[in-house]
This record gives sequence, structure tokens and C-alpha cells, in this order.
Amino acid sequence: MNKISVRSLTKVFGAHKAVDGISFDVEEGSILALLGPNGAGKTTTINMLTGLTIPASGEIRYDGTLFDPQNRRIKQTIGVVPQHNNVDRDLTVYQNLKAHGILFGVSSLNNKIANALDFSGLAAHADKTAGNLSGGMKRRLIIARALLHEPSVLFLDEPTVGLDASVRRTMWDFIRSINQDKRCTVLLTTHYIEEAEMLSDRVMIMDKAKIVTEGTAAGLKARVGKWALDIYRNGKTETEFFETRDAGLERLGALSDTASIRETNLEDVYLTITGRRIDA
Amino acid sequence: MNGVKGVLYRETQVLRSRIWKVLASSAVSPFLFLVAFGYGIGRFASVDGVNYLTFLIPGLVAMSSLNQSYGISGEINISRFYFKVFDEYLLAPVSRWEIVAGEVLYGVIKGLIPVVIILAYGFIAGAGLKMSLLFIPVMLVHLIVFSLLGIIVALVVKNHGDQMSVNTFVITPMIFLSGTFYPVDKMPFLAGVLAHISPMTYSTKLIRCSLIGTECDIWLNMGVMLGSAAVLFIIAGRILNGVEG
Repeated sequence: MNKISVRSLTKVFGAHKAVDGISFDVEEGSILALLGPNGAGKTTTINMLTGLTIPASGEIRYDGTLFDPQNRRIKQTIGVVPQHNNVDRDLTVYQNLKAHGILFGVSSLNNKIANALDFSGLAAHADKTAGNLSGGMKRRLIIARALLHEPSVLFLDEPTVGLDASVRRTMWDFIRSINQDKRCTVLLTTHYIEEAEMLSDRVMIMDKAKIVTEGTAAGLKARVGKWALDIYRNGKTETEFFETRDAGLERLGALSDTASIRETNLEDVYLTITGRRIDA
Repeated sequence: MNGVKGVLYRETQVLRSRIWKVLASSAVSPFLFLVAFGYGIGRFASVDGVNYLTFLIPGLVAMSSLNQSYGISGEINISRFYFKVFDEYLLAPVSRWEIVAGEVLYGVIKGLIPVVIILAYGFIAGAGLKMSLLFIPVMLVHLIVFSLLGIIVALVVKNHGDQMSVNTFVITPMIFLSGTFYPVDKMPFLAGVLAHISPMTYSTKLIRCSLIGTECDIWLNMGVMLGSAAVLFIIAGRILNGVEG
């Protein structure tokens, strides 16, 4: 069953089309990763899905019900972790959660704040001013805040951007547990290939305001070939794809250039479709 | 009402965390005006039949409370454009009118801080204040109008620079042309015309009338202020309905 259905969604800023007629579905209880370079339209898509930005055209449905930014019943079921660490720097961790809880009309608020603090590992920091938290702790506070009203859909916009590798892995475990333990449908945007591969049930690749392809990570990689041979020639890297490792090795043996063989990844999928690397 | 409560909780907690700065900014500027104008000039002059120090106190109440209540504009601006905290309000399942009402209540609370301080100055200086009960509704409507104006400016401007321009070209002239320091009817013709466009002229008259007993048409001035509040509330709500994060 689809939790979210999007049809022909478009957003225009002046003469610039930030999102151009995209359509997709998100299955209930799944994790969908929206992968693409900066400026592809990922954040604008999330902003429209959460009511923060008004679409120019198209429709969004939650459980079949048409959504608009004034729809309070649907907004009650949505949790948002924005790209920007928008904690209230002057307030304590506890006060940040309480302000959110009041806005969302959360009942038994003190108990739920205590649970959120435990779940996010911030119980010992409840009275600390949020502005003094580390980047990872701010991120966890924002996630705890987004989950306080027990949403059935969670949007995460670049959840691990700016975090170091070890904190990023901890955050992945955290996101997985939200999806599994809290039965939350998750839609996340990222420009990290590994993040999309590790976390998502399905991946949707965006480029220049459009969805260029979608599917499971394994399915998308299989479309270009399971093995990639990177050939370093004249200061550039050219990549060739093969169905089997043996076929790649055979080609490697025939080359006079330096080359290395590896498994394909989602960046190869992006490269094959757009002709560019994802961080270009 | 979750929107009103949530916005008010957040804003008042921020106010609590900065209370000493707000108290200092509310206390220092009126004190300097009192020393420079009240004692410097006030000892030798009288206006509309009252000692200038006595005349000045209501003007300072109007000006300083306006500065604090309108000042929420800068805070909303920063939370919108820099810290993105305002997005939390826009994402919440609350009506945009509730957000406006919550911000207005915060502006009223913040604006009352200098009122208390300046009244204390007035009593200490022996300014001969004769406060009537009218002072309470007058202050409320004054603070509501300028909080709403602050909200509208914060929602309309595109960045902090625009905000500063509005302060320089609209708010500062309004403060000086609205009877804060001398009566509007003593102003040159053009300044007098501008004064009558400014809602502060009407609230300053009411504040003076309810605080030191000068004469004014209460119904006319109150009518203008209540009308301004209603119009500004509708404008603020409409603008906020179209605001995007």
C-alpha cells in the first residue's frame, strides 16, 4: 500500500524549474532514498511534501488523501529533519522538545520527552543549551524532535551531511531503528552514494529537477553491469561495465593502461544515465 | 490554540534566556533621554501646561515599548533566514493565524518590560504621573499594533538588510514625528501631515492622556488604534499564509 503518492509535481522559482513534473510512490513502512547532486531538486521536493513550500502544480496524496499545506490532520502525521540544524540555540534540549510538543499538541508530553531523550541518547544533556551541543548531538536532537509527536512518515533531508564517518554510521543505525521499531515510512535525500545503498529499500535518482531512474539499489546496479573497470588514461578515468568479474578481468589483461576492477555502485548508475559524476 | 501556546512558549523561553540584555536595553536608552531632555531641558520648559519631564515620560513609554514590541521583527527575521527555526512553526499542524497571535502576545510581553522601567523612573524622578485605568487597554492596543507591524515587516522583507532599511526609513521617522518629544500640533505642516498617518501619534496621545491627564479624544484615538490592529492582523495572517520555508 502506498503511503505517499506524488503526481506531476512541479515547483518554479522565477524562470528556474526546481522540480519538473515528478511522479512517484512511497510504500508504507519502506525507506526511499532520493539521490542526486546538490541543486537536483531533492530539498524542494521534500519541502513540497511537508507543506513548507507550495507547489506550482501537481498533487500529493497521503494514504490516498489529497494534501495541501493547510491540511493539519496530515501534517500531524509528518516528521521532518531538515538539512539545516535548526535547533533553538538559546533553549535547552528539553525546552526544544517541549516547544515542539506543544506545537503538535502532544499528550503526556513530559513522558514522551523522557522517552525521546532516552531514545536519542540525550537524557544526560537535557538541561544543556542546544547551541552548545556537538554536530552529531544536534542532529540527534532534531531527529528526536521530529519523532516526538509519533509521525507515521519521517522526512530526512541530508541527515548525515557534515558529520564525520563514525557518527554517520551511528546515525544510519539510528535511522534503521526508527524505520523498524517505530514502523515509520522514511523518505531521505542524500548525495552520499553509500548512504543511499546502505539505508534504502528503493532509490530514486534525481538530476536537473527530474527523476532519471528508480528501483532497488541492486536492481539499478544490475542494469549497468555488476562489475566496473576503472581505466586511468591520459589523466582521466574511464569506466567500462561487465556482467561478470571474469569478463572484466579478461578486458583488464588486454589493457596496457593502469586499471582496477570493482563492484558497481549507484554513482556508476548516475554516471551512465547523465554522463556526469554525482559530485560534479 | 496549540499554535499560540507553542509560539508563546518558545519565544518567552528565548526571552528568559536573554532577559538581562533585554532589561539593560530597555533601561539604558530611556534613562539617557530622561537625563538629556528631561533634566537638561525639562527644568526650564513646559509643554501643554505641564513640566517637560512629565510630558516626556509618556513619550518615552510609547517609544521604548514600541522598540521592544516592533523589535520582534528582527528576531523573526533571524529565525527565518539564518537559524530556520521559524520553519518549525510552518511545519506544525496549526493555523497561520495562531502563529501571528502567538508572536503578538510575545511582542506585548516584551513591550511591557520598558513600560515598567520607565514608570519606575517617572516615580523616582517625581514626574507627577496620574495614571488612570485607561492606561492598561491603551498600552495593550499600542503593543498589539506595533507587534503586528513588526511581524508584517519580518514576513515581507527578503533579508536582514531590507529589515534595517525599513527601520531607518519608516520606524525611526515615525518615532520622531509622532509626538514623542513634542506635541504634533507644534510641528511644521508637512511633518504634521506625516504624523497623522502614523498610528503611533494616536497611541502616544492616548498614553499621555491616560498617564498624565492631558486632554484627548479617547474614542477617536482608540478607534484608530483598534482599527489599525484589526487591519494589520488580517494583513499579517494573509501574508503568513503565503510564506514558504
